Amino acid sequence: MQENKNALKVAVVAVLTAVVVVFTMMVRIPTAKGYLNLCDVAICFIAFTFGPWSAFIAAGLGTALADLISGYAQWAPISFIVHGVEGLLVALIVRQKGDETISAIKKIAAGIVCVTTVSMGYFILSAIFISGFSVAAAEIPGNIAQSGVGVVLGLAVATAVKRAYPPVRTLAW
Amino acid sequence: MTTNTFVAGDAFLYHFDPRAKLLSLVLFCSWFFLPISLVGLYGVVFSIILLGSFNTGVHHTWRTFRSILPMLLFMVLFIPFNVRSGESLVTFGTFTFITREGALQAARLGGRFIGITYVCTLLFATTPMTEVMLSLRWYRLPYKASLVVTLAFTYIPFIADSFSQISESHKLREAGEETQKKNIFKRLSELLPTLTSALVVALRSIPNLAMSLEQRGFGRTEKRSMYHTLNAYTHPFTHFMLSIMIPVVLWVLCRT
Repeated sequence: MQENKNALKVAVVAVLTAVVVVFTMMVRIPTAKGYLNLCDVAICFIAFTFGPWSAFIAAGLGTALADLISGYAQWAPISFIVHGVEGLLVALIVRQKGDETISAIKKIAAGIVCVTTVSMGYFILSAIFISGFSVAAAEIPGNIAQSGVGVVLGLAVATAVKRAYPPVRTLAW
Repeated sequence: MTTNTFVAGDAFLYHFDPRAKLLSLVLFCSWFFLPISLVGLYGVVFSIILLGSFNTGVHHTWRTFRSILPMLLFMVLFIPFNVRSGESLVTFGTFTFITREGALQAARLGGRFIGITYVCTLLFATTPMTEVMLSLRWYRLPYKASLVVTLAFTYIPFIADSFSQISESHKLREAGEETQKKNIFKRLSELLPTLTSALVVALRSIPNLAMSLEQRGFGRTEKRSMYHTLNAYTHPFTHFMLSIMIPVVLWVLCRT
């Protein structure tokens, strides 16, 4: 029985990682730092639907793999940490028991935490390891916009998917 | 959507043991943060670019440079004006535009950024992803983690293909409607049905994948699937020694 559960966990995390990679790479808006994308939509969807550990692994691994594939390998460790923590924190905030609906306060708190984690995480880590503080600061508005859109769309997509495919609740762990 | 970063070739880096390459990637990335002279830094960066051009071709080297060019321009434009201390280099009247310290800091960060980019790109351009995975397994990456990455790579083309097809279908539904310019909010809200459909298609594949893993004996002692070992490379000891010695010697030569 435990093996079955482990197989499901691996399958869930693998497919969700692939989803994050596809969402990161399919829609792109070029910027100075690299590109803006829809990865936060996928991450917030996973956090709202699947729980903290799936969100942490799929978000971190998915964005890091997308960076590797796109030729921005130097960003992969930073993306892994920032987006992994983003997914983990958002999922921990909106975690609920059974079929309880998520309260508006929790959704707003998750949104604020998501935007803050992404913008501050990239700012601090890029400033230290890659570009210095002034260049990293110039990227804050882009990151705020990307993660803000990500939270709103991620929440909308999570609601729509739960309605369109109810068995998704059984896949969460 | 292509997930392949490997550039086919037969130069010497392709015959270098991938485990040693992974080790030298970590050592070189750390090397760029050591206290080294600017001349040494650019000497090493230039050598790495030359090595890359020789192994993967000038076209690939140029493509990598083009991808980081906007970021480099940002560095050149922003950093010097933000460092106000030190001897002034460019002044307009009484206003100091660029200081020597600012210019040096921009040059150092730029060099480090180019170096790290090329070191990372070279590893993935000269090593197939399967060999990178097998090397990570050799470094004791857990079986489950390796499986997740391998499966994710298998599913990326399938999900990307579904996404494109669904996106095209939704566009066809709009055929004949007014094609006036839409604002960003309208465009994002119109993306919602496409994203939802693509996610449902992806999620539907999870139970099948889980079942396949169980049938292949996942989680049991007698697995029917396992990773094979890395193909034999000639002189792995020499390669490991080289990947340690080169950064150490370069540090001794370039330290300030």
